[in-house]
Amino acid sequence: MSVVIETQDLTKVYKGMSKAQDLVALNKLNIQVNEGEIFGYLGPNGSGKTTTIKLLLSLIFPTGGKMKIMGNANITSPEVRKNIGYLPEGAYYPDFLRGEEILSYYGSLYGMRGASLKKRIDEVLEVVGMTRARKRLIRGYSKGMRQRIGLAQALLSDPGILILDEPTTGLDPVARKEIRDLLIQLRDQGKSLLISSHELLEVELISDRVGILFEGVLQTSGTIDELLTSREFSIKAEEAAPEATQKVREAGLITEDAAAGRVSLRVPENMSLYQALDICKSQNMKIVSVSPRRETLEEVFVRVVGSAVSSKEAQRGER
Amino acid sequence: MSIWLASNPWLTVLYGVIVLAILAAVAWFTPWSIALFTFREGLRKKTLIGFLILSILVIFGSMFMTAMMYDTGGTVATDVDVKLIKDICITAISIFGVLIAIFISASVVPTEIENKVVYTVLSKPVRRFQYLLGKFVGVQIIVAVNLLLMGVLFSIALYIKEPIFPRMLLYAIFLTYFEFLIVSAFTFAVAAASTSAVLPTIAGLFIYITGNLTQYLESVVNRSEASESAVDKTLGGLAWVLRNTLPDLQYFSLKTQILSLQINDTPKDIQIPNLVVYGILYALAGYIIAYWVFRRKEL
Repeated sequence: MSVVIETQDLTKVYKGMSKAQDLVALNKLNIQVNEGEIFGYLGPNGSGKTTTIKLLLSLIFPTGGKMKIMGNANITSPEVRKNIGYLPEGAYYPDFLRGEEILSYYGSLYGMRGASLKKRIDEVLEVVGMTRARKRLIRGYSKGMRQRIGLAQALLSDPGILILDEPTTGLDPVARKEIRDLLIQLRDQGKSLLISSHELLEVELISDRVGILFEGVLQTSGTIDELLTSREFSIKAEEAAPEATQKVREAGLITEDAAAGRVSLRVPENMSLYQALDICKSQNMKIVSVSPRRETLEEVFVRVVGSAVSSKEAQRGER
Repeated sequence: MSIWLASNPWLTVLYGVIVLAILAAVAWFTPWSIALFTFREGLRKKTLIGFLILSILVIFGSMFMTAMMYDTGGTVATDVDVKLIKDICITAISIFGVLIAIFISASVVPTEIENKVVYTVLSKPVRRFQYLLGKFVGVQIIVAVNLLLMGVLFSIALYIKEPIFPRMLLYAIFLTYFEFLIVSAFTFAVAAASTSAVLPTIAGLFIYITGNLTQYLESVVNRSEASESAVDKTLGGLAWVLRNTLPDLQYFSLKTQILSLQINDTPKDIQIPNLVVYGILYALAGYIIAYWVFRRKEL
């Protein structure tokens, strides 16, 4: 699997009036997006996600480091640009134009003309489900429809890479689901997607790999399975009397659910699975299942960002 | 008048070649879709429509004004009547035309940065110089179309009063375009460095006003040379810099000739091809400055 987007020690510093006022938006960022995958790019507000995207599109310029797109370091070359589709967050599309007119405008920027442009507009409108609304003025579009038109303009040149900044923000649940399905469909067609988002559940549902950014530093990255599979275990048991449940809790196991003699227990990282099983057996519980516990992306995100915040505060304290 | 604006047939030929080369380069490199998009979007700006309606009201209002003067006194001579229309209309075209040129030039790029349209355009295979060129050419189409519209209305207003071919007026409108081109180019250059339209609008008005006051600047320079005061010397130095860098927009004014000569006369003592080159070269300088500041602008 080849790498389509790659950054090496990418750094962006916004200069202030003095050195102390300099803002490090990105600090030696190393990310890779592979061909045919969805890379979820996560981080709280101001963590540097949009800065990374703007750097990749040369809308701003790096202070240090390197970027390659499809192995090409000249990321502004027309060949590279033709292979990138970009959907900015909250983009505006001139509302006096019709859906197909705005696509015609953007298509012309790729040098597309005449029948081939018209054919491509038909195709992308079909892909994003906007064929019926093509002749309507954009001012009459809902937020979801505007987002679809935004996706359509990003798809016009049939690019291999899609860079999407908050593609589902502000959409209702139905529109979110539709956009999500569309993104999976595009991935399945072989396109590579870099999706920046706050919507952790959305990202968890569609991403192959994820990177979590905080204050310009990539805190962690990996496949969804790597990130979400923790070292903790879950134990499900039956025939658990209330007193027994209380005892195992006192012994250090974490009760996640308890009802009608059934309990779900979490084994903390500082306890071995064997110890936990012995505790349950000693309380005459009937073990039904033992499984590695899978975290949610939200839990991973909160843990990673929380840890980054703590370590930063500790550094400040040392100073 | 500057030496290079003097009459010389060889210079005129040279200037012609320069103009053709520049126009050919612009035509070749301009992304016309961006220019036409800018034109279409510009025509929908409420401020522009407001200025245009005001100018139309003033142009036709001048006719009613003269008609009322007839009704009330009945002593106003026809040439005075026509002169009044000419005076009001040419002033209205200058003021509203330049306001439209400044407003549009000041707003097209900052507006696209603000609403992020620039992100979607520049993420496509469009170079920054092409983007700016497309926006600039789009602005020029708006300015030219507005000027043409006001000129046609002015001609109709005059023709109703004096049914002769308004040759002088056509020359005046043509030269006024080049005056607006210069103001527009420098406003555009400031806009390329800005994130809002306020600063470029102020800069555009400054260029228009100082560009029309170069004779006054000349007199400031002369007075400072005769004075011993340090303040006068400093002001004189500043006036000298402005005098020698800013364009002299008075070159493009045919107002005195329009008012004093017949409307079907040909303008006198004026080298139109040279003024065209003068306007285009200043506009080119404005565009180069715009590109220079925009090429590494963080968006």
